[in-house]
Amino acid sequence: MALSRDFFRALEDIVGKRNVSEDPAVTENYRCITAQSSAHYGPVNTRTPKPLAVVLPGSTEEVQQVVRLCNKYKVEFKAATTFWAAMGFIGSDNAIQIDLIRMQGIEIDEKNMIAVVDPFAIGGTVQVEAMKRGLNCNVAGVGCSSSTLAGTAGWVGFGPSSIFMGIASENLLGAEWVLPDGEILRTGTLGAEGEWFCGEGPGPSTRGMLRGWMGTAGTMGVCTRIAIRLHPWPGPKWIPVRGTAPLYMADGLDNVRAYTVCLPDWEAYAKLFQLFYEADICYLAHRQFNMFGRDIKTAMVEIFTHPELQFRDIPRLVEDPYLKEQNAQMKVDVQIVMAGFSDRDLDYKEKAFDAILAKVGAHKSEYYLQQDIEDFVKLYLLRLARKNYNYTLCSSYEGNFGLHPNVWKAAPFMEEAAALKLKWEQEHTGIAAVGGDSDMGSVSGIGGGGTTGWEFFVHFDAFDQESIKNADAHIEDTQRWMFEKGLGVDFGRWNADCRKNSGYSYTQDEHDAMYSKLPQPGIATYQYKIREAFNPNRLGGSYYKTMTPPECK
Amino acid sequence: MAKKSLYEMKLPKGYEKKLEDFFPMERRCSNCLGCKFVPFEKIKSDRFSRNCPSVWYYNFNTYSARGRFQLGQNIIEDGYVKFEGQALEAIFNCQACGACDVGCKITRFNLEPLAHNIALKERAVEKGLAPVELKAAANSLAKQKTMLPDCKKADRANWAKGLGLKDVSGKDTAEYVFFPGCQYAYDADLKKKAKTYVKVLKQAGVDLGYLGNLDMCCGGRAKQMGFRDDFEAAAKGNGAAWAKAGVTKIVTPCSDCYHAIKRQYALLGIKVEVVHAVELIAELVKAKKLKFKKSVDKAVTYHDPCHLGRLGEPHEDWNGTEVKILNQIHTWEPARPRYAGTYGIYDAPREILAAIPGLRLIEMERCRENSWCCGAGGGCSVFNPEYSDAIASERVTEAQATGAEAIVTACPWCEINLSGIESDNGTFTNVVDIIDLVAKAL
Repeated sequence: MALSRDFFRALEDIVGKRNVSEDPAVTENYRCITAQSSAHYGPVNTRTPKPLAVVLPGSTEEVQQVVRLCNKYKVEFKAATTFWAAMGFIGSDNAIQIDLIRMQGIEIDEKNMIAVVDPFAIGGTVQVEAMKRGLNCNVAGVGCSSSTLAGTAGWVGFGPSSIFMGIASENLLGAEWVLPDGEILRTGTLGAEGEWFCGEGPGPSTRGMLRGWMGTAGTMGVCTRIAIRLHPWPGPKWIPVRGTAPLYMADGLDNVRAYTVCLPDWEAYAKLFQLFYEADICYLAHRQFNMFGRDIKTAMVEIFTHPELQFRDIPRLVEDPYLKEQNAQMKVDVQIVMAGFSDRDLDYKEKAFDAILAKVGAHKSEYYLQQDIEDFVKLYLLRLARKNYNYTLCSSYEGNFGLHPNVWKAAPFMEEAAALKLKWEQEHTGIAAVGGDSDMGSVSGIGGGGTTGWEFFVHFDAFDQESIKNADAHIEDTQRWMFEKGLGVDFGRWNADCRKNSGYSYTQDEHDAMYSKLPQPGIATYQYKIREAFNPNRLGGSYYKTMTPPECK
Repeated sequence: MAKKSLYEMKLPKGYEKKLEDFFPMERRCSNCLGCKFVPFEKIKSDRFSRNCPSVWYYNFNTYSARGRFQLGQNIIEDGYVKFEGQALEAIFNCQACGACDVGCKITRFNLEPLAHNIALKERAVEKGLAPVELKAAANSLAKQKTMLPDCKKADRANWAKGLGLKDVSGKDTAEYVFFPGCQYAYDADLKKKAKTYVKVLKQAGVDLGYLGNLDMCCGGRAKQMGFRDDFEAAAKGNGAAWAKAGVTKIVTPCSDCYHAIKRQYALLGIKVEVVHAVELIAELVKAKKLKFKKSVDKAVTYHDPCHLGRLGEPHEDWNGTEVKILNQIHTWEPARPRYAGTYGIYDAPREILAAIPGLRLIEMERCRENSWCCGAGGGCSVFNPEYSDAIASERVTEAQATGAEAIVTACPWCEINLSGIESDNGTFTNVVDIIDLVAKAL
């Protein structure tokens, strides 16, 4: 399929010649190779369709003109920035890709504790600009390399700091949204220069329509700016760093403490979460390093903090008596960071923390109290700069299980889930053998919960076709187990109803057949009506879950 | 016969040599943005957060190391893309500065984005598709033993006239041979600085000579541009000349030469001890053989040249291969050197500046292993000056943000490319060779 010359020339007129391309060297680069990019779409081995063109608008007005042009010519479009996940890519042959890389503004309203950010403002830059003013932002668990806007407006967006700062939907205060038909919708009040700001008032929530809980992954137009709530940061304007690449560690930060808690069992883990919420002592809380696997997590931290070591040292480190003992103590563990807003505040938090540990029979990991390791962990969690460690073992991973956002519901299943994964590691060679349990996840959000068992990391090789297939088969099995237990859709299949294994979008008929089996199909028919109102030409892909209501057939 | 799938390829032994050797890496890149931003925990501001000049300027993903991994895959696996149009533009508009390499290796142990970028250039050059300006430079290397246009081999040693340097191409011998590199040998202003280097080193008692008529271009820039054969011919020519002259130790004021000899020659088995002039001067200062007596009342910032800093690590021989442990975890047997910029030359120039009375060093946000390229690398200043100048302008703007009066550097290519550049705040001309400050303070 080729783009009409009129359409292409009109794109050039909008964004300038250097900001639009239909050269295969560019368009082929905007196809997601799904085995390389997990994002809970499933590790199938395909590419998303090739866009007819890639366009780089530099402003909301340019986005609006591009979208209107797409409506005029009935060409689909999808906008993204960091392109980390399949959901940012187009789903048909009749589509262009909008890359918002040129829109990277960050505006901080210190007084009102608000940031107004463009799509290509990543968590790492928003955070550093906020910290200069004694503020901080929730960085989604996917890491600070992800777009703050995409994580907040288009997807779930919880992270280690959510226990203190809330999840994405709690932080989205307003949005500037180019709707799928080209209209611009502004919610709340954007802008920080002397303007007051409010969140949404009474009445139907446009935020709910456009974002919902999960986010619509760009299906409903292009979000061009959002306002987010910022939160207090009691540290310096920039976290001092010592060391040379690849090992960086926080330097100083005496009013910030990082601990790893070793727990006797999963019941104690659930109790600990509950007490953390009640005591309100955590700045960050996350089960982080277990993502490498129960057997090797301490070996991995040892490798990261000793650049002369490599993965070939894992078997030796796993057998090291000291590390083995430390690792055994951390079978059930969680990392937490406490930040003191005053000496008295930190003192209180330390005492409360110790009391909680005593109450649940837990203790602080001695291994993580070593200065270099504590400083490495502080920097890791506070800036979430190394989320690409997710991929380091084998080059790709998929998160699966997704037990429950309520720790009390999920905790009783943890060992059974770990045993199922361990069985796959032992009986097949396609996924990394790391000790079964490779659960990670944040103790989020403010109101309680705790995403336990949400995301077991399944590490596989994106180059090895058998490994890819095996990881896929493993997730198929965990999905079967999840259904058996009444736990719902496996995290690794979350987006499986949004895009076919071929990489293309589903048709409405296919979605109708699929969603008629939902326990609450009314949600999909309601969303159909919203989509028809906002997106009459259906130009944004199939990530917004809709079913045709009987009266519309 | 059906074409054999690249997935069935035999993994290479030793460092990757040809584009196809990189296929597993192309598949294993995880699109993390490490090749687009300074290592995230080192970001100090949004304004100076980017690390790759190419994707910063062109914006399309294809112009990043991740984009080039996908581009390489599209070319060699599927034939979706050919060596033409924006593919060639993306391939050659890479400074080979290695910022992506550092960013990538913060978290990854099995990707070599810089080497892959150069492998793409090499394949395009093999096909005769390099920009004409680069072809001319490579021709000049073959004929005149320099990659600088309009320069003659016969004029190369003129810079040394009147210095009384020992000529080791004849019967003289010296502990160190001064290897000026093309810019110091030919550029009118830089020739004077080469003389200053020699005078300072001799003043400190260094037994110094030069190569006389045997002196030639190191060829390092040919390697950066993808002219592998021309580079190897230059390297072998130099290796033979040095063997003939009995050279054992080389001192060079040029960061490109330093990198070429230290890393790229070693890869070809040509091994000679090479130090950058700043390393030797720093040692002489420490040993009190050079004493700074005069105050230089100035606030300066130091620009780390890519090829001295993050790319200035020592080469290690390695002839291992990939193995998998614990089912699917990749590693190397034996351990593979991980060039992450860890052991580059960062401290020596700073020690010199710290020893100069009155001089105050203010660091730029992007420094040491995360330094922003001056824009001259990879031959980009030769065939795409507008792009190269934009990169230099970004660096000068960053330097001005520190409040420093001058940018100090230790590489002639950086010095030339940063001088007289229009920044966000107007023209900035105060770019200083570190040897000028040294000479001023003695």
